[in-house]
Parts: sequence; C-alpha cells; structure tokens
Amino acid sequence: MAQQAMSAPGGAPASARVPLLYRRRARRWFVELAYVALTVLAAIYVVSALGGREYGFGFLTQPAAFDIGNQWLVDFDGTTSSRLTIYLVGVWSTIRVVGVAIGLATLVGVVVGVARLSQNWLVAKSAMLFVEIFRNTPLYVQAVIWYAILLFGLPGIEQVVNVGDSFLLSNRGVAIPWPDPRVGLWGGPAWLAGSWFATLAIGAAVALRVRAVRQGQERETGEYRYPNRVAMTTFAVIAGASYLLLGMPVGIDRPIVEGTTYAQGMAVFPEFASLALALTVYTGAYIAEIVRASIQALPAGQTEAAKAIGLSGYQRLTLVVLPQALRQMIPSVTNQYLSANKNSSIALGVSYFDLFFVASIISNKIGHAVEVFFLIIVTYVVLSLIISGLMNIVNARVTLHQV
Amino acid sequence: MTNEFPAPDPVPGPVAPLRARRVVLPPARQRAARPRSVRAREWIRQNLVPSPAGVLLTLVSLSVLIAVLGVAAWFTFSYANWRVVTDNRWLLFAGGFPHDGEWRLWVAFGFVFTLVGASYGMWSSLGRRDVLFMVPAGLFAVFMLAHGDAALWSTLWFLISAALLAVAYAAFRRIPREHGPTRTLAVRALGPVLALSVPIVFLVLMAGGGADSDELSGYLLNLLLAPAGIVGGLFVGIPLAIGRASRLRTISWTCTVYIETVRGAPLIGWLFVALFILGDIIGGDLIVRTMVVLAVFTGAYMAEYIRGGLQALPRGQYEAGHAVGLPYWRTLQLIILPQALRISIPPIVGQAISLWKDTALISIILPLRELIGSSRSAIAQGEFITNRIEIYVFAALMFWIIAFIMSRVSQRIERSLGVGQR
Repeated sequence: MAQQAMSAPGGAPASARVPLLYRRRARRWFVELAYVALTVLAAIYVVSALGGREYGFGFLTQPAAFDIGNQWLVDFDGTTSSRLTIYLVGVWSTIRVVGVAIGLATLVGVVVGVARLSQNWLVAKSAMLFVEIFRNTPLYVQAVIWYAILLFGLPGIEQVVNVGDSFLLSNRGVAIPWPDPRVGLWGGPAWLAGSWFATLAIGAAVALRVRAVRQGQERETGEYRYPNRVAMTTFAVIAGASYLLLGMPVGIDRPIVEGTTYAQGMAVFPEFASLALALTVYTGAYIAEIVRASIQALPAGQTEAAKAIGLSGYQRLTLVVLPQALRQMIPSVTNQYLSANKNSSIALGVSYFDLFFVASIISNKIGHAVEVFFLIIVTYVVLSLIISGLMNIVNARVTLHQV
Repeated sequence: MTNEFPAPDPVPGPVAPLRARRVVLPPARQRAARPRSVRAREWIRQNLVPSPAGVLLTLVSLSVLIAVLGVAAWFTFSYANWRVVTDNRWLLFAGGFPHDGEWRLWVAFGFVFTLVGASYGMWSSLGRRDVLFMVPAGLFAVFMLAHGDAALWSTLWFLISAALLAVAYAAFRRIPREHGPTRTLAVRALGPVLALSVPIVFLVLMAGGGADSDELSGYLLNLLLAPAGIVGGLFVGIPLAIGRASRLRTISWTCTVYIETVRGAPLIGWLFVALFILGDIIGGDLIVRTMVVLAVFTGAYMAEYIRGGLQALPRGQYEAGHAVGLPYWRTLQLIILPQALRISIPPIVGQAISLWKDTALISIILPLRELIGSSRSAIAQGEFITNRIEIYVFAALMFWIIAFIMSRVSQRIERSLGVGQR
C-alpha cells in the first residue's frame, strides 16, 4: 500500500525519486557511520594520549616488598610473595568484610524495617530515627567515627577488659574464643578435625532434609509433626556422636594477651570492625526502607485474613507477611548488596587492606595505573556477578511457583 | 423513602470512664470531642501499652533510647571539646579561600538564595517547616563565616540574602499557576539560569582575581562539586539513556557498555582515574578532572533511571508523536522526555543525595581538601590532636543536614508533580 501510494504517475520506483538524504534507511546509515567515526576518533585520541606509558602485567609476578596486616586464614609473607598474591589477599579481605556486612545488614534491615511499621509509637519512631540518621550521612564518615571510637574510646592493651577469660576488649580489637583442632582421644592425626567439620555440614544437610519432609507430612495430614524440634535434635545427635567417635578432635581456644598483641582465639581488629560496622548500619538502613516499602505494598487483606484465622502477631509476620514481601524485595536488596560490595572500597580510609587499598599501594610504588585500574574494575565486576548470581538462585527459590 | 439523609449521630454526652482492657474506640468525631486528658490516655493505651508484651517492648525500646540519648548528651555536653570546631570554622567552611575575597562568597550566597526563593515561588510554596530550616541554616552560615571584625558584615550580608530570597519568592509567587504566556516566559527565564547556576557561582568565586582553583576547599568545595556532578550527570545521563534506548545498534551497544562499565567500579576507583590517568587525556586542573569524573559517574546511574522512565511510557506515546508528524527529536523533546523525566524524578534525587554523600570520598585519595580533608588538617594541629571524634561528628552533621533537606524536597516534588497519580 505504502509503496503504491508513494509511487508517482511517472512510473519510476519511489526510492529513486526520494533524495538520498531523506530516505530513512540511508539516514540511519549516515547517523551510524558518523557515530562510529566519532567514537573511533575519540578512541584513537585516548590511546595516543595514554601511549607514552609502558604497559604489561609483568609487574604482578615480581615480589611485592611490602606487608599488609589484618589477615585471616592466609599464611602470607609480603616481602617475598608476588604482587599478584598480595592482591589476592586483598580480594579475600574484601570478600570477608562484605560477607559479614551483608549478612548482618540483612538482619538489621529486616528488624528495623518491621519495627518502622510497629503499632508501638516508641518503637516505630526509634526505627525512623535510626534510618534517617544512618541513611543521610556518608558511609565514609561513619566508618571513620567508628574507627576513632574503637581506637581512642577503648582502653589500651595494657588495661585490657577481660570478660570471663573469654572475651578481651581493648583498642587492639576484640578477641573471642574460636574452635581449634587439637590432638584428640585417639592421639589422632589432624584430618580428624577436618572430618568432624565435614560431618557437621552433612548433619546440617540431613537436618534440613528431615525438616522439609516433616513439613510436607504436616501439609498432607494436617497433624503437627514438630519439624523444627526434630530437625534440631537430629543435628545435635549427629554432631555430638561424631564428636565423641572421632575422639574430640576440636577444642575451644581462649584468647590471651601476649605482649602487645592477642594470641590464640580469634581477634577482630578495629579496622575490620569499624568497616564492617559502618557497612552493616548503612546498608541496613537502606534495606530497612526496602523492607518497609515491600510490606506496605502488600494488600491489607493479607494481614486481615491472617488476623481472621487467629494468627498471633509474630505468626502473621513470619508466616504471611514476610514470605510475600520477600518476593518483592529481593531485586532491590540485591542492588544494596552490590553497592555494599563497591562501598567496601572506603577501607582505605580506615587502613583496612582490602583489594582497592592493596592495588593503590602497588600503583603508588611502581605506577602502571591503567593496568591496576583495569585489575580493580575486573575484580569488582566479578564479585558483583557472583553476588547477583547467588541472589538469582535465592530469587528462583522464593518466587511464586505457579501451580 | 422520605428521609433522604441519614439522621446525624446524637451528640455524645459525658463518656463513662473506660475500664475494659480492650478499648473499642468510638468514631473519630466523637473521640475528638472528649477532653484532652482522656484522649491522651487513650493514645498512650493504644500506642504504648496495648498488651503485656507491648509494655515490655515499650520498656525495652525506652531503655535503649534513653541509653543512646544519654551517651549522645554526655558526649555533646561533657566529653566533647567543641573548640576544635569553633576555632577552625573558617578552615572548615572555606579552607584556603582568600579572606579579602569574602564578598564573593556572599554574592554567591545571595545568588543561590535568590534562586531558591524564585524556584520555590515558581513551583511550590514555602511552608512553615522550610522557614524553620532556613533560619538555622542561615544563622549557621553566619557563624561559620564570622571571624574577627567580619561578624557584623556577615550578619548584614545574611539579612540581605534572606531579603533577596523573600523578594524573589514574592515576585515568582505572583505568576499564575496555570499554563499561559506569563508562566512560559518565566520558566524560560528561570530554567537557563538554574541550569547555568553552577558555572555562574564558579565565575563569581574565581573570575577577575578571585580564588585560584587550589584555594577552593572545605565545605564550600563539597557545596560546589556536588551540584556540578549532579547537573553534569543530567547532561551526560539524558543522551546516554536516549542512546541506550535507540534502535541504532552501534549507539545502543556503546551506551550500554559505557553505563555498565562505569557502574561496575566504585566511585573511589574513578577518582583514582581522575588522579593518575585522566590528566593525560583531558588535562586541566585536578578540580576540573574531579568534576568531569563526578559527572561521568553520576551520568551512568541517572541514565539507568531515565531509561526506566522511558520504558515505563506506553508505545502509543511515540506513535502519537509520529502520527502528528513530529520528527524524532521533537517527539522526544515535546512528548517523551517531559513524561519520562517526571517518572524518574524520585530515583534521580536519590542519586543526587548519594553523590552529595560521596563527595566525602574525594579527599581519601585526591589531594583536594573538602570538608573531610579540612577536618583532617584541623586535627593535625597539636592542640586538637585528640578531638578526632568531635570533628568527624560535626562533619557527619554537615552532610546530614543537606541530605535530609534534599530528601524532604524530593518528597515534596513527588507530591506536587503527582508522580504515581497521573
């Protein structure tokens, strides 16, 4: 139709009579060509501007020649190891602090978000105060304040606060008891401890399975089958029996002070603690708003129906409201996790050796800024992909299964 | 049906004292008629002590609140040495800004106040709460700038700025709210000034023998960099969003790559680029490079929010533009963008707040001393070396005030533009 309408009485095809500049497809080609030409020119300019530098990733395999503190589970000597190794230690530090902060922030966020909707005026207003304070101040300033409090507000290690020989508190951080492999009853080899930890994992899996089966029976028969109690007992029995069978291969290591440092146990240093605390509170305040919004987005009929069948306030929350709100909040919460991951780069400000701090030290020492930046961005993107991949799995599990 | 209207409720007599545990409240109008003491008791019963568990909750939260407020009060009034702030106020506010150029600060202050008044008169109205905010904010600015003999002058200049605000507000308040030639003219006059306000302020501060770029520091620098990043971010973000939604593959593909790359790394990483890499590409002062990085970074986020707005519009809007014969760009300008931007205002303001807070990151790795950097110089003096917590709490408060005002303004914009209602 269009072709017929456009073809003029002369009989020539329409495309020949419309000037090239006014043909839609030709125009697109022009625009695209011009755009590509401009982009290529810009790229050439950037490459030539940066051309005066030396490139190559060879510097990563040379010895790092500096040391970083605050490590955990890595045996590492900064003076001889390569720069790549020290960078990976930094990556591991980032993963640690982000993991702790994400877990705690979710907890804080759900509690505060629910509290904001509490019928208790005092609770609701306190939660609002919390959110307004911590959401509207820069994360970096928060971290620095926590760091200053932990460093200067707490006593020195000479006057360490000792709570029952188990918890030590000073400006060198908190030391807590920690499980430690030891020679058990069988005078056994070290792998006994490892196999006990493996048994714990298996026990947890079995207990979860038992719980799921019992819940299924509950749904089918309507009889109460005590899923949580039975599951917890199962886990306790497996853990206890294997502990005895393997000859008690793991003991609890209490922290002590040796000179000016903590020995044994597990020490949480102020750098880690302040960063984790700031990330937790900041991200938690954002998650609280997400939780509140998704609860408010639920139709009021859900709560009313739960009231009508006589559920208590706690049951209404855990059985009706939160499971449904969860579906709505997961995408936004994932975004918050991703920002928490990137926000952890303020570690530099509290002397915590995360990947960005380590990378900037490397760059300060030998230059190669472009390669180092490339490394940083690739690492953050990979970490983000891991987080969103995990959250996709969670999302797939909680989304509505259409029956 | 003789009686068309239901009979009014009988006027309530004196209410018998409520003894029952569970209170069933009468309709609101009758409740309001009761004495204040009864209403207060009811309110307390409903909101604070509804049940035994509720009493426990109230007690627990009350004790936590008292503990936190107690520590805060002890810190503020007993522990803290606020001289670290009062002695360094010029350093914290304007840092290295030359003293003899102080009038430039005040002219800029008056200009911004006039713009605020005009914008309020144009699009909104000043509520009692806004005045409650502005008076302390202005008095605070006087306090920060009043040093030595200048106390009288700063007070005078503040009064002049406040008068400018009031005059601009009154003038723009008279413009009719309905669309018409007067309003269009006013929008066309005010819009460009708003868009160019950041360069104008820079001109006022720096042109003709004013401050050098390395003399801009302190809170002033935050107040300059954040708007530059926000306005620049909009200028970067709108074309990027349109490009990403474009049907031309090369354009949409490159825009996507750009957006995802920028969002992939933290801001502090991009500041690293401003310090070590960008100098070779665009040259210029570090402060200019920082502004470019802030705009480029914010632009990528804003592009995503604007794209959300673009996608939320039904296809019919594009088709309608096409049907009345508008070319592509005019369709965008007249039909698509006004609606898309309105939808994306809340997340854009959220990003603006986020950028405002992120200006605190600048002095982590850059040798620019914004408020945090100035705070660090303040506690580097031997006298104040132990007053770390005080100075950072003060800085946090400074950031909080602006962020809080911005979030309130964004709620107001949402309401007045009817986001989610049209």
